[in-house]
Amino acid sequence: MRKGSPLVKIFDWRSLASVLGVLLKAAVVMVFIFPFLWMISTSLQTLRETLAFPPTWIPAVPQWNNFVEAMSAGPFLMYARNSVVITVSIIVLQFAVMIPAAYAFAKYRFRGKSVLFGFVLLAFMIPGQITFIPVYLLMADFGLIHSLWPQIIPFMSNAFGIFLLRQYFMQIPEEIIEAARLDNAGAIKVIWRIMLPMAGPALATIALFSFVSHWNEYFWPLVMTNSEAIRPLTLGIAMLRETEGISNWHIIMAGNVVLVVPILLVYAFCSRHIVKAFVYSGIK
Amino acid sequence: MKSKGEFIVILTLLLGILAGCGGGNSTANSGNSQSGTAVDPATTGTETAAANAGGKTTVQFWHSLGGKNGEYMDALIQRFNESHNDIEVVGTYQGGYDETVTKLQQAVASNTAPDVSMLERAYVLMFADSDVLEDLTPFMEKSGLSADDFTSGLMGHSYFNDKLVSLPLNRSTPILHINKSMLDELGLAVPTTWDELKTVANALVVKEGKEVKRYGLSMPYDTWYPIAMISQSGGKFFNDEKTSPGFIDNGIGKEVFSYLKDLQSTGALYYPPAQDSGNIVNSMFVEGKIGMMFQSTGSIGGLSSSVDFDYVTAFLPKNDVYANPTGGANVALMAGSSNKEAAWEFIRWMETDPQGGLQFILQSGYLPFTKKMVESPEIQDLWAKEPNRKVAYDQLQYAIDTNNDVAWPEVMHEFFSTIEAVMYDSQDIQAALDAFNKETERILAE
Repeated sequence: MRKGSPLVKIFDWRSLASVLGVLLKAAVVMVFIFPFLWMISTSLQTLRETLAFPPTWIPAVPQWNNFVEAMSAGPFLMYARNSVVITVSIIVLQFAVMIPAAYAFAKYRFRGKSVLFGFVLLAFMIPGQITFIPVYLLMADFGLIHSLWPQIIPFMSNAFGIFLLRQYFMQIPEEIIEAARLDNAGAIKVIWRIMLPMAGPALATIALFSFVSHWNEYFWPLVMTNSEAIRPLTLGIAMLRETEGISNWHIIMAGNVVLVVPILLVYAFCSRHIVKAFVYSGIK
Repeated sequence: MKSKGEFIVILTLLLGILAGCGGGNSTANSGNSQSGTAVDPATTGTETAAANAGGKTTVQFWHSLGGKNGEYMDALIQRFNESHNDIEVVGTYQGGYDETVTKLQQAVASNTAPDVSMLERAYVLMFADSDVLEDLTPFMEKSGLSADDFTSGLMGHSYFNDKLVSLPLNRSTPILHINKSMLDELGLAVPTTWDELKTVANALVVKEGKEVKRYGLSMPYDTWYPIAMISQSGGKFFNDEKTSPGFIDNGIGKEVFSYLKDLQSTGALYYPPAQDSGNIVNSMFVEGKIGMMFQSTGSIGGLSSSVDFDYVTAFLPKNDVYANPTGGANVALMAGSSNKEAAWEFIRWMETDPQGGLQFILQSGYLPFTKKMVESPEIQDLWAKEPNRKVAYDQLQYAIDTNNDVAWPEVMHEFFSTIEAVMYDSQDIQAALDAFNKETERILAE
């Protein structure tokens, strides 16, 4: 802000900027929210309405039965349970690995630290499409193909989480840790009592991102599972598609609405913390 | 380092977690004869025992049928299991055709493949070439079956080096779908030749200014339809020596694409965007934005229940001859199976028992694949009620698949590029075909 400029001028510039800002935000919101609205609308339409061209926006009579049909097409309770078990296990394990790792990277000096951290960042950049065949063969060798493990073990470490949490820990003043050590607090106590409470927003962010990406995972469970009993919701919903002929989009979208609801719930709990986390860590 | 002790604590913590997670591992073999109804998978990493309590043999069957057709397939499997005390078939959906192929490749490599698998017909030869499909001939002989019992138009992808490596299951073929009401309004007859098709398609066009409001003809973005048209013009996709495309030097490729571009330029042909093209043309057909379309027989059921006009099907129009490729999937017995007798019994039952494939065909609308099935009163009744389905079957007398080659999946990608270059980017047809020719010859020479 420039001091000394005519007050009126600043005011005009600001109000114009704020109006433009609101419009831009509204446009961005529309871009993101539009597919969701379309999904919800389609989930309540009849087959005939989904085929209409130009598209139907508001169904004549909401077809709530689509949800019943989608959920009775397969063992959805089992899929949902698998999704929950997989996602929660991943998040718990990730935190167990990530917190000590981030603490070590942030607060200790040891030989090979930057190389090791480089490896962590490298893990960021390798997509699953490259690793799935070796991982599948490995899991088959271990005899784990008929369990949930192949969907959990490869995601135990979260490179993004380690990175974000390290940035966060680095900003916590050394003096606080020193003080704790003088009081005979060990590493675990320092992490538990000092680092974690101060890193709340970062933890919430990591948990949410991790939840969304693993809850929505399609490719990995598809290639890692051969039997129904260990499949997550995403695969159950993909099964609603027709191989040939006319797809029942209304049923598929009803399934998708069910898939998305938990994400919205988790987001509602975590959203408060998220912006804070990015501001703190200097990533904007 | 401030304190070595602290670092060791953290390291131990990390290792402890890693070790803890590996705790549930067992050293069980990754056999493929395993019950699909596993014990609670969340609490154990071990496999269930191969044999079920009642001494049943488990047969794993992978398929690609989702939605309604998936439900019909589940019902078929249930009927099999109820009528067989000693065999338990576990059917599992493995994604679409392409995804099933990917999964099968990795499963064969890791010894976790099923006993029986559905295979999109164009991939059969690729798997047969890798020696992973069992020769069914001895099984057929033992069961008193012969290849002549099957619909001959659907056996084009069943043989590899004189071995019978797959049998038809959920098969379809492209056909002409017509909004008869629209044609009747203008007093037009159903076209049977390319010339008539061109006339009718152009007559159906409705324009407002420069904008086309109604198109005459459409087809999904797929290799199927140009291949059909190549055959209709007397060409072959691959030459007999399998060294080169069989439709470029003789000018047939140019004729096919020129015909399509000509229709496209007047608004007579709507060529849809690649993504989700099948659904787009179906929607437009139902809405009366398109008068006719080339589309799979798999759409007949859905269209019949959605349209509010007189909807009929007809043979794909001929140029020099009537011709159409086939599609859909076959069923194959995996060579690595350790339960081949039980697996064959499932295939045999599914192919020939009146409670097996026949019911599935009646429900799903796929083409009947055995001669007995065709003669059955159920199919004859269905055809009397729904003549559109009979047309689909009758057209099989002209079925011809000229893209049979191990290299097809690879060449297919090149052909898609050619279609895009011509239909979307309006590149010079001959230049695009020459480029395709060169690439294909390179692939076939490998």
